[in-house]
Amino acid sequence: MPLVALSELTYWYPGSDVPALRDVSLALDGGLTVVAGPSGGGKSTLLRVLNGLVPHFHGGRISGLAEVDGCDVRRTPTRRLARSVGFVFQDPELQTVYTVVDREVAFGLENLAVPGSEIPGRVEEALGQAGILHLAGRRVATLSGGERQRVALASALALRPRMIVLDEPTSQLDPDGAARLLEATRRLAADGCAVVVAEHRLDHLIPAATTLLEVRDGSPEQTDPRTWRAPSRALRVGRTTSPGPLAWSLDRVDAGFQGRPVLADVALSGSSGEVVALTGPDGSGKTTLLRVIAGTLAPLTGRVERRPGRIAYLPQNPTSLLHRPTVLDEVMLTLGRAGDRGEAVEILEMLGLLRAADRYPRDLATGERQRVALAAVLVGTPSLVLLDEPTRGMDAFARSALQGLVERLRDRGAAVVLATHDAELTDALADRVVSVKNGGALPLGPHLSANPSPASGGGGLPRERGGKDLL
Amino acid sequence: MNARGVAAWSAACLFVALSTTNPVYRAAVLAATLAALLASPGRARARPIFTFVLVTAALGTLLNLVVSHIGTTVLFELPDGIPGLGGPYTAEALAFGVSTGVTLAAAVLAVAPFSLQLGPEEILDALPSALSRTGSALAASLNLVPALGTSLEAVTEAQRLRGWRPRGPRSWAAVAVPVVLTAIEGSIQLAESMEARGYGSGPRSHLRPRHLGPRDWLLVAASTAAVGMFAASLLTGSAADWYPFPTLAPPEVSALPLAACLLLFAPVPLCRWSRSPS
Repeated sequence: MPLVALSELTYWYPGSDVPALRDVSLALDGGLTVVAGPSGGGKSTLLRVLNGLVPHFHGGRISGLAEVDGCDVRRTPTRRLARSVGFVFQDPELQTVYTVVDREVAFGLENLAVPGSEIPGRVEEALGQAGILHLAGRRVATLSGGERQRVALASALALRPRMIVLDEPTSQLDPDGAARLLEATRRLAADGCAVVVAEHRLDHLIPAATTLLEVRDGSPEQTDPRTWRAPSRALRVGRTTSPGPLAWSLDRVDAGFQGRPVLADVALSGSSGEVVALTGPDGSGKTTLLRVIAGTLAPLTGRVERRPGRIAYLPQNPTSLLHRPTVLDEVMLTLGRAGDRGEAVEILEMLGLLRAADRYPRDLATGERQRVALAAVLVGTPSLVLLDEPTRGMDAFARSALQGLVERLRDRGAAVVLATHDAELTDALADRVVSVKNGGALPLGPHLSANPSPASGGGGLPRERGGKDLL
Repeated sequence: MNARGVAAWSAACLFVALSTTNPVYRAAVLAATLAALLASPGRARARPIFTFVLVTAALGTLLNLVVSHIGTTVLFELPDGIPGLGGPYTAEALAFGVSTGVTLAAAVLAVAPFSLQLGPEEILDALPSALSRTGSALAASLNLVPALGTSLEAVTEAQRLRGWRPRGPRSWAAVAVPVVLTAIEGSIQLAESMEARGYGSGPRSHLRPRHLGPRDWLLVAASTAAVGMFAASLLTGSAADWYPFPTLAPPEVSALPLAACLLLFAPVPLCRWSRSPS
């Protein structure tokens, strides 16, 4: 009998007439199963059936059969299925209960009343499997996102489950953190554990995958992973305009918090119609630099100048901004405040959101929410566009939409600064790359196109000094 | 310190502060909670709590002074024609307000060690098995508090850049609604993750069982004695209540209830004991 057997399974979330999963029949066993498909297609719902979070935690209606490790999912609560199925969620910060790594890994064992004398050995074993034995005893708050996610993996492994399920585990991680987590995942599958991973970026996983499930409109289709072909890389689209006059500049700026500088002696500038990419490891000061350019963080010393006009700022978790009753209201709110004539319907159409225009944004799937946030922030004609890790957690559609939007804004004369780990996005969009690390910002020179005027250049920037808020 | 010991002390402080109207005993509890916080390792993080307590106590005092116009010792008077504010302002109302403010401050500081000194795991571990499901909700709510602070800063900044300006209480909905919704969603995800790791399965075991040590037993004993002595004082009438109206008079003080209050200072020497080299 297979480890997972679903037969004609249909599931509706509470209050919904449209099923999130439709008539699903599939069987899974050991090896690495990769679950792919667009946002809102039903990947997360399918994964939550495997440990009973659907229907026991989320409620709703379910029909058909679902058996995991011989247990009827509809009748077995999640806390019982936890012995068979370990689960790693998307956001490393939202699955930590304890403050110290080994206590966190022991949490599941304590819940299942594993004898206290047995727990230290099991914790050590799980930390070893996740490749983070060196983190034992560390405070969780001091870990990077990638390390935290491997702590979550170790926490799931400590229960010695027959199957590990990971729901887009790399979406919040930098490339290094993501690579290490996926490496640990591949190793687990190679060691005989059944592993199911939902991911948007499949390049690292497909070579080791035994099964590929593509989920669309609530229906998974099982295919041979060997037939999968990587999508073509985002292409750099030719400009319709050249970079214009200087739009922002930082002159010998020190910036930080409570008098302690994170960045020192930064001299940078950007022009209208130019895209500058800030790269560097997590915690290097990219967000601080963006906030100084935006004027929301005053420099400790030095001078900040910006051309007057609207600033569009996309924070790291843009969906947290959403609060209006409908998607259209969110977009209209920005336009109304900016006094912009803008094009709400056009941007929704461009982002594939027109059909969702009357829906409550927080009811949408993660990828769709991200597109709503993009529309709400980037609509209209801002003169300065600041994007903080804009592709983090995005599916292919949202990434492509983002690229299109930024190109459009750039060609309309907006100065764009993006802080990103995403090499593909940098390749596709950046005119210049600036490396932010060790407290400094080092221009790496022109990126495919000519380098516009440097910080010392100066013509024509209207005087807006000292990081003051221009809005 | 063990969370159960801290819980016993907090409960004793709350019992004394809330069971009497005598401002001397209330002030003694406030002094004990302040001293305990200042002696604890968490004192460096206590500044926001001190600010909150000061503002709350001041507001409590002011509210009573403004609302209650009874008493015979008139300090000053505003014309009756001023709606809500007009009338005599009395020393009795001020004294009653101060007493209320002191109680509010003591109550907040009595439970402050839970956030300043104890990790979430220590609080969860201290819960009896029968309350394990409650612990899930407790952990989720503990996670909500720091997330709210971070989220508030980020959302305020991003909404400002989106053109939002604070104009009256209703305008804050643009910040408050997304902050609260995001925090709730985060807590639901945390609860989901706890469920997925078997939380609520039944009696739990512990990686490092948290037994009460000698210091904890001393704290529990001092707290229990304080409650016992104060309860006895209330029953026998030696812990006399106080009411400043119609004419302000000093509160009566007796030795037994005062001794009970002094026992609430127990965390101070116990914290010093734990820091001294063995």
